[in-house]
Amino acid sequence: MALRLTVNGQTHSLDIEADTPLLWVLRDELGLPGTKFGCGAGLCGACTVHLNGQPVRSCSTPVEMAAEGEVTTIEGLGRGDRLHALQQAWIDHGVPQCGYCQSGQIMSAAHLLSTNPSPDRDEIVAAMTGNLCRCGTYSRIIAAVESVVAGEKPAQEEA
Amino acid sequence: MAMNRRDFLKVGAGASGSLMLSLSLPGCSGLPTGYEEETGEWRPDAWLEITRDDRIYFTLARVEMGQGTYTGLTTLIAEELEVAPEAIEPRFAPVADEYKNPLYKLQLTGGSTSLATSWEPLRIAGASARELLIRAAAGVWRVDAAECSAGEGRIIHPNGLDSMRYGQLVELASKEILRGEVALKPAAEWKYIGKQNRRLDARAKSTGTAVYGIDVSLPDMVYAVITRSPRFGGKVQSFNGDEVRAMTGVLEVMEIDRGVAIVADRYWRARKAQDALKVQWDFSEALGLSTAEVFETYRKAAVEDAGESERSEGDTESVLANADKVVEAEYSQPYLAHATLEPMNATAWYRKDHMEVWAPTQAPDLGRIAVARVTDLAPDEVTINTTFLGGGFGRRLTQDYIEEAAAVAFRMDRPVKVIWSREEDTRHDLYRPAMLHRMKAGLNKGELSGWDHQIVGPQILNWYVRNAGPAQFPWTPRFLYDTLGTVGVWAEGLATPKDISAIEGAIDYPYQVANIDIRHTHIDPGVPITWWRSVGYSHNGFAVETFMDELAHEAGQDPYRFRRRLLEDEPRHREVLDRAARLGGWDTPVPEGRARGIALMRSFGTYVAQVVEAGFENGSIRVYRVAAAVDCGQVVNPAIVVDQIEGGILFGLTAALYGEITLERGEVQQSNFHDYPLLRHYERPEVEVEIVDSNETPTGVGEPGVPPVIPALGNALFALTGRRQRTLPLRAEA
Repeated sequence: MALRLTVNGQTHSLDIEADTPLLWVLRDELGLPGTKFGCGAGLCGACTVHLNGQPVRSCSTPVEMAAEGEVTTIEGLGRGDRLHALQQAWIDHGVPQCGYCQSGQIMSAAHLLSTNPSPDRDEIVAAMTGNLCRCGTYSRIIAAVESVVAGEKPAQEEA
Repeated sequence: MAMNRRDFLKVGAGASGSLMLSLSLPGCSGLPTGYEEETGEWRPDAWLEITRDDRIYFTLARVEMGQGTYTGLTTLIAEELEVAPEAIEPRFAPVADEYKNPLYKLQLTGGSTSLATSWEPLRIAGASARELLIRAAAGVWRVDAAECSAGEGRIIHPNGLDSMRYGQLVELASKEILRGEVALKPAAEWKYIGKQNRRLDARAKSTGTAVYGIDVSLPDMVYAVITRSPRFGGKVQSFNGDEVRAMTGVLEVMEIDRGVAIVADRYWRARKAQDALKVQWDFSEALGLSTAEVFETYRKAAVEDAGESERSEGDTESVLANADKVVEAEYSQPYLAHATLEPMNATAWYRKDHMEVWAPTQAPDLGRIAVARVTDLAPDEVTINTTFLGGGFGRRLTQDYIEEAAAVAFRMDRPVKVIWSREEDTRHDLYRPAMLHRMKAGLNKGELSGWDHQIVGPQILNWYVRNAGPAQFPWTPRFLYDTLGTVGVWAEGLATPKDISAIEGAIDYPYQVANIDIRHTHIDPGVPITWWRSVGYSHNGFAVETFMDELAHEAGQDPYRFRRRLLEDEPRHREVLDRAARLGGWDTPVPEGRARGIALMRSFGTYVAQVVEAGFENGSIRVYRVAAAVDCGQVVNPAIVVDQIEGGILFGLTAALYGEITLERGEVQQSNFHDYPLLRHYERPEVEVEIVDSNETPTGVGEPGVPPVIPALGNALFALTGRRQRTLPLRAEA
């Protein structure tokens, strides 16, 4: 079955089973491995992407549900070489440890800020609570999000 | 490290006549060093490569799984080479003798040893390259090398004006000779050690570009999923291979040692085909026990076998017989899964008598043995490419996932990626062993007079030597692999280092008591086990530090001061204990409905004390604050130290609040994050970490944050409720 899917602004036509999770289409068919597989059941948030502006767990979203839709992944979050403010904050705050969950964390935070540019601490925690981090980077995540909310300048421009 | 600096320097003439300087530990793999005319690359040693166009590569022999080697070890090189850490590009090491961890004589990352074992060798490597570059420049300028200096990737002329880039000097530097000891920079001149706070891998990990094992992609790659016995030790009897082989995208269905593999052109097709696979298992040799039986077995063993003496001082038996008061308690801890967020996976490609593997592994040389086991290849015919690891915590020291990928790829003519589901990852882990502790102590007028600790459970060595033995002797023929493993267990403490995995955290009991008796009753129920972040300290810490709290209570003393008085000869222990108490507001009023608990543990050479403030909310345990004081010797990257201690605390809290793997008739009952939960954002306590200033040799921080938080939380709950919990995980209703 042929599906049309727009990912990070590029439209693709795919011949693939409709029940294939969006995650594996992104990773294996479209070569976008930044979105991670963690649990396959929507429990950990590592696979979070935006579908038509809403955060979804791509591991449990059949690709047919994304057909004709617009998907944004971690690879498409910035503009070209310019990082999203959250990505820069993640770097400045040294958020990642193993880093495996961080694409999903950033995508959840990006959705929060797109709907609520000045969330308070409780709102940040509530929005991020579906994203697990086994290394325990939660404090740095909150600090990074709050720095973007506060409009802090990046500590140092990345080359 | 007791090694003389000169021992690291091996100088000899290379084939091209250029000088080769090999900084290595005993053993030689013949890694090429020297100058490569065609590419303009200079490899002064096994770790560094500097090119004509000023690129600096550092071969990182300790894998990056979140703990920060990628940044920390690079910082050591950068400091002595006089370049910013950001100017160096780390590369993951291939398997070679030079890259072995000298403490284990294996190329593995674990035991919080990376910084301690790299502290001298890597600074010497950086300083040696710097000195050779200085000599090369001095030769060009015809000045005294001692008058030249290095900075920001250039050698600076004594006149302070002229300079040459490292890249301009690499060819000349490769012909220079280093005699005697190379001088390391004094601490006062450090620019990065103790100051570097940025992580070199943060950008790649914030943009989705860091490559983990699961991200490896190769031409014509296919995917495999493996159905393993639901009970440990079950064997495949039969399966409906023909039916599954006919399904969309399925290329092959094959039996391997560990189960039945389905190979398909797409991952999802392999998974769907797995739903249709029906395997008949032979459980005649499989494990059929339940968790309750494990502990019954332990209790029986504890009575029948007093255990091997691991530490004995004074006459504990008679002191306890004559004590005013004898306190006894039994503690137990369950099996725990690692739950790395990146599930187990490996990619293997068999081509003409050679297997190439890409994998997130903590021990690539053991990975080679795993491949050799299931193919007809020798370890030398196997290449292991290490990727970033999406968490390790000890799980990736065992190479079962590489073994599987190799077994399948050996029978395919294309690269094969094996990916485990979360359910498979939870059910086919090798676990932190379930343990039992029987404690007994005597109190005379409130003074601790004797301490008796019997540890009951398995040790990890028996599970590990299987591949570790052959990895130390890779020329051993395959049919002797298992013999080597058996000899490894037999020679424990002689040829093999003593396995302290069951007793660490108990035998190093730091409190001053004249009569101490610590024994290990070794019993292994057969459930697969391995190292799990902080290993023996994770369970002994809970037993020892909870029992200390019980004794303080029985003696009518404050738990902090009870410990403190017994640490007069242990200044580093006492310092972190005092600091944690202060930071955690031990002597200040605690908010209504909350209480504080304290615990202390030195693990992997690092001292950590913690004060936990906890209570109950909506029928659940709520941890509000954790204050931690840490002494890990010289700090290289303060931010990473804080992160590792805080990460360890959250890892420990996950175990304390939720961690429990149970078995029913040999089958693991948990499967995914709904029934094996991890601590979430909203449960995160406020964590404060204070680091003791120290010039002592650095020790690791990846694990030491974990052990104290579990007893500290339990002790806080006791202070609040008066009910003592001696079994993990802790319960709100207990």
